[in-house]
Amino acid sequence: MKNLRFVILLLVVASIFAIHAQAQVIVIANPGVKATEISKNDLRDVFTGNATSLPDGSRVVPILLKAGTVHEEFLQVYIGKNDTAYRAGWRSLVFSGQASMPKSLDTDAAVVEFAAHNAGAIGYIGKASPHEGVKVLAVK
Amino acid sequence: MNRWIVGIFAMVLGTLPMAAQSIEDLNIQIHGYATQGFVYSTQNNWNSMTSSNGSPAWTEAVVNVTTQPEPKLRVGVQARYFLLGNYGNAIALDWADADYKVNEKFGVRFGKVKTPEGMFNMIQDIDPAYIWSILPQGIYEVATRTSILSHYGGVVYGTLRLPSKAGSMDYRVWDGERIIASNDPLLLPFAANGILFPSGQSGNMYGGTLQWHTPVQGLMLGVSESQNHQGGTATLGPFTGNGTVKPFQIPFYYGQYERSKFTAIGEYMRLPPNYTFTFTNGPTIPVVLDIRNWYLMSTYKLTEKLTGGVYYASSFNLQAPLGPARYQKDWTLSARYDVSQYIYLKAEQHFVDGMQIGFSPVGNSTLNPQSKLTILKVGVSF
Repeated sequence: MKNLRFVILLLVVASIFAIHAQAQVIVIANPGVKATEISKNDLRDVFTGNATSLPDGSRVVPILLKAGTVHEEFLQVYIGKNDTAYRAGWRSLVFSGQASMPKSLDTDAAVVEFAAHNAGAIGYIGKASPHEGVKVLAVK
Repeated sequence: MNRWIVGIFAMVLGTLPMAAQSIEDLNIQIHGYATQGFVYSTQNNWNSMTSSNGSPAWTEAVVNVTTQPEPKLRVGVQARYFLLGNYGNAIALDWADADYKVNEKFGVRFGKVKTPEGMFNMIQDIDPAYIWSILPQGIYEVATRTSILSHYGGVVYGTLRLPSKAGSMDYRVWDGERIIASNDPLLLPFAANGILFPSGQSGNMYGGTLQWHTPVQGLMLGVSESQNHQGGTATLGPFTGNGTVKPFQIPFYYGQYERSKFTAIGEYMRLPPNYTFTFTNGPTIPVVLDIRNWYLMSTYKLTEKLTGGVYYASSFNLQAPLGPARYQKDWTLSARYDVSQYIYLKAEQHFVDGMQIGFSPVGNSTLNPQSKLTILKVGVSF
């Protein structure tokens, strides 16, 4: 019985941490992108190179962070892959002539700056990072 | 026709600086990868290597340059160095194309383009893309893939969202010309019987692919069918003539299921070319093949860096005489370790019954119906 309680407690704590982790990443886009929200499937399609536009027809261009906890969290929560597997998927597209590698930037501020000034740009940053000049997309 | 296509491709390249406002706007990217393999086999040498002594004669290196001057237009070129035993040892143009994607539903790619048939043809040469050292050889034979990866012509492609949450459908339609060089390993079975193609082979081909991403999360079902027509000037000793193959269809049926760390793939493909060699003042020789191939494979991501996999592959030529040269069955165990996002290691063990593919009388004084193949590989990509 004690073990069961301990397992339940662990699961509750893990769930809290999982929710907390999801809340640390926000998806941002150039203000010209019409959508105000994006489904998890559409987000995955855009960031894995399977789609270059949203269901409303607006063209989007994914922007990546080069590394870091926000990048790892985004891949884990929304793409379901680690960085190595994720970039291997993109290399398949690049080496078979189906896509160009997305731009990778060093910092949240650089992603915000790029998304603010490039039509269709869509990226992700830490929730606490300043993000003036871009719109935040709710992920459904 | 291929000269016209390359000419148009060159024109597109030439207009790129006008389309872009600055060099930075061209969004030029350079990527590449290189692999080095080591092969050890029991009983038989494999693919012209002295593999029964252990051989490192398997090297590949690829460089890729792409530019995207505006969101809908992408132009790229990829060159490949390939060495496998006595095969290759040359740099070849992998693909060189211009891609204009109007929207999600419609895009067009032309030049020398990858042929999008089957589960793996688009990526079968891209070693960093999968766990395996060699894919099932009945469909994706490593020695002959250079010729069948791409064609001169075009591909029309797109993705259609299906109604009522029925998933989505990717389509690919292609047309063009496939050229096979005179020294291509694909022609070795003829050469072994004294029939040479001094100028290689060429012929028109067209086809289509549908891939249905079903409402079941992670399940994709696909079908490809192509029409092929090849031929060329042939010689047999003192005789000169033509070797042509009647137009024939190559069907592929395949499926993939991905869930979390697990992936399963199955594919069936039939290859039924029907050759006729007609030599002036000489013999007429029919060569009929009917090769049925299938495989089942699965992989599991054991840790962040380590992935394991197993496949069983079968290939039968129903038109060949009875005996072990008629078939090949291959149990394969494989592992891949990603040292970093740039470097990986592969280890693979094959238990092969039959000698239809990769085990030629050339380089083997005697052939044994059963052999084991151990492959180690290191790869770097950027």
